[in-house]
Amino acid sequence: MSTLTKYSAIPYTGPAPTNREPYLPTDAAKLDARGAEIAGRVGAERERGQDLPTLIVSKERIVETLRTLKDDLQFTLPLDLWGVDYPEREKRFDLLYQLYSLANNERVRLKVRVGEDEPVDSSLPVFKGFDWFEREVFDMYGVRFAGHPNLRRILTHEAFQGHPLRKDYDPAQRWLCTEKDVAKIIPKIDPRFENVDTDFERVTLNLGPSHPATHGTLRVVVTLDGETIIGAEQEIGYLHRCFEKSCETHTYQQAIPFTDRLNYMSAIINNVGYCMTVEKLLGLEVPQRAQYVRLVLSEFMRIADHLVCIGTNLVDMGALTNFWYLFQPREEIYGLIEACCGARLLPSYTRIGGLAVDVPPDFLQQSQRLVNMLPKYIDDVEKLVDRNKIFLDRTVGVAPISPQDAIDFGFTGPCLRACGVPFDVRKTNPYLGYETYDWDVPIAEGGDTYARYLVRMEEMRQSLRILQQAIDRGLPPGPVMVDNPYVALPPKERVYNEMESLIYHFKLIMHGIQPPVGETYFQVEGGNGELGFYIVSDGSKNPYRVRCRPPCFAIYQAYGRMITGQTIPDAIAALGSLNIIAGELDH
Amino acid sequence: MPIERVKPGVVRVVPRKLTVAERLYIPKVLAGMFVTLRHLIHNLLHYKKLPIISYPEVKRIYSERFRGRHILTTREDGTTRCVACYMCSTACPAECITIEAGEDERTREKFPVRYDIDLLRCVFCGYCVDACPEDAIYMTRDYEMAIDTRARAVVGLRDLVVPPNFPIEPMGWRPYYGSLEKKGTAGGTGIGQPIRQAPYPDEAPPNPDLYRGA
Repeated sequence: MSTLTKYSAIPYTGPAPTNREPYLPTDAAKLDARGAEIAGRVGAERERGQDLPTLIVSKERIVETLRTLKDDLQFTLPLDLWGVDYPEREKRFDLLYQLYSLANNERVRLKVRVGEDEPVDSSLPVFKGFDWFEREVFDMYGVRFAGHPNLRRILTHEAFQGHPLRKDYDPAQRWLCTEKDVAKIIPKIDPRFENVDTDFERVTLNLGPSHPATHGTLRVVVTLDGETIIGAEQEIGYLHRCFEKSCETHTYQQAIPFTDRLNYMSAIINNVGYCMTVEKLLGLEVPQRAQYVRLVLSEFMRIADHLVCIGTNLVDMGALTNFWYLFQPREEIYGLIEACCGARLLPSYTRIGGLAVDVPPDFLQQSQRLVNMLPKYIDDVEKLVDRNKIFLDRTVGVAPISPQDAIDFGFTGPCLRACGVPFDVRKTNPYLGYETYDWDVPIAEGGDTYARYLVRMEEMRQSLRILQQAIDRGLPPGPVMVDNPYVALPPKERVYNEMESLIYHFKLIMHGIQPPVGETYFQVEGGNGELGFYIVSDGSKNPYRVRCRPPCFAIYQAYGRMITGQTIPDAIAALGSLNIIAGELDH
Repeated sequence: MPIERVKPGVVRVVPRKLTVAERLYIPKVLAGMFVTLRHLIHNLLHYKKLPIISYPEVKRIYSERFRGRHILTTREDGTTRCVACYMCSTACPAECITIEAGEDERTREKFPVRYDIDLLRCVFCGYCVDACPEDAIYMTRDYEMAIDTRARAVVGLRDLVVPPNFPIEPMGWRPYYGSLEKKGTAGGTGIGQPIRQAPYPDEAPPNPDLYRGA
């Protein structure tokens, strides 16, 4: 059976992509009702027909509203803050705040409309986690946040002119930015150490951006008092590739290779997250077989991500042998990915509506072989490290973060679970059929480097459980691509031989997929936490706005605080355990 | 590590307390040594199965979907299949394909007078192959594309076009004609296999210029 089942003439009876109704989520009525309830509690307007309960808040009342939502309605986890530009409007910018309630498993979105040169009150007194997100909005749109203590550019260079995500910014412009234009960063000294008098001279030290221990182009400026870090500031943006702006100038399908480069350690999860967001916007139901393959490869990718994280973290602590033990199965996982789609690190395997090609015939046998071989390697590392006194001395109690702080900073994923908070998108908002598998969310106590190691090790075992169940169920029969000529390319034999298929093929390549007008957000559990995509469609072939919520971004902003009071070797151990991926961090 | 169930669907990993022997450190060092020693002996006994590829003497075998360097196929009469329809350059997310179209005086058919791929821009996503309506562009399993100048990274018709009846069987990413019943080597890490299948017959590599310099 081919990717597209038989359509010789035009058997597709669904709607044509032009003149379609605006996007309306399936459970809009329920969400609207809940939105009205929340709006009543906080005294704000609501917006109907959104995929989340959405409130429209005036910019004067935003901090107050956020506080009410946090204190009274238990929306404690600040997920994301981003902007959208509508230059034809009088108040051209939309600032979107997204919060999550761990107690009620519920999300809410706040929209604030601001004009150019209108400052907004900073939400830092309520949510510490919006610190870098506000800087990013300032960098990308030029919206000022009154009361933000450190409102500098974050992703672009200091000498950069203009605000790149504004619609009137020409993406073809080039700026020559040199080292001369960069102001020296002097970290603020933590108040705990301000008046402590020691015998040492205070030294400011640059860690990175290209340093073997930083695993990517990250830079941390630390002030040392002897060996103790008394102030730290992180500088990012060295790997900024304009992911969001590039998406706006390319078609929906063309953005898939860009998503590979976000978290390049688990690229398929990014592909799946992006494609599922567009599919949600299109209202597509992906074939069972494609969903199954996406799930299996996502879990393999999650394991590969954790293998790299633990392996490199241990290398930083001098345990090189583990690195070899862990990279061997990773290599084999990449072999499987390569057999499916022809590339190892950057697969671009999924397409909107399914998969690029079907899996090879021996997919299940090879997956079984991997599932059989992986526990041996994980056990070996556990034997070497788990109760090794040196490792414990290096990790227990190193760079801890309390559950309250972690939630306040917007932590998700293994780093949050290491604080004892069992939040996993696969459990709370199941997708791809995760709810039909029997598996557990691992948590640990302490929130330190050791707890993060424990959670990742256990998560790999849980992923193996999911994989074993999936392999036992077997590959569902059927196509791997939806039967919709407005989304899926027709099979090549038909393109060569039939007029209709050639026309569909041509239309899709030239005019792209055209989702209905609307906006939507969808989240998957990435290697480091909640990976969310928010897409605004204006009905054309290019997305109006693509927002990626990178989990690292929220986690890394707390790093400076976590390492203050620790030593440099501890800072390195902590950095490895947070699993910061520069590609994702810098968009 | 022992785990305990907190509530349905959530388990907590509980670190064990260290015993006195473990706190003394030496026994744990010896236990660690045993693990590595086991690996050493296992590797010595199974020398042939070592997960090591001595590149470049031994090369990894990639699957038949590998997305390597591109080729342009040729019809039996020796003309290129490409009709310069610009579909590949439109589909390319990296904008690395530059085409200039010409017209055949005799047959009135379009053909490319210039077809350049900038291999340094290319992201090897395979979209050009998916987009081609003429079965004209394939990707090979060739991944050795080291060059010494940027200018040489731009490959043109002379580097890309292959002779007629060129064997496509050992190629990489190519149109699957919808049937997908192609031989695939899943998990084809090819570890321990000394010889790789050449992406094309060694006696007739299509574009020696790419490597030796024009």
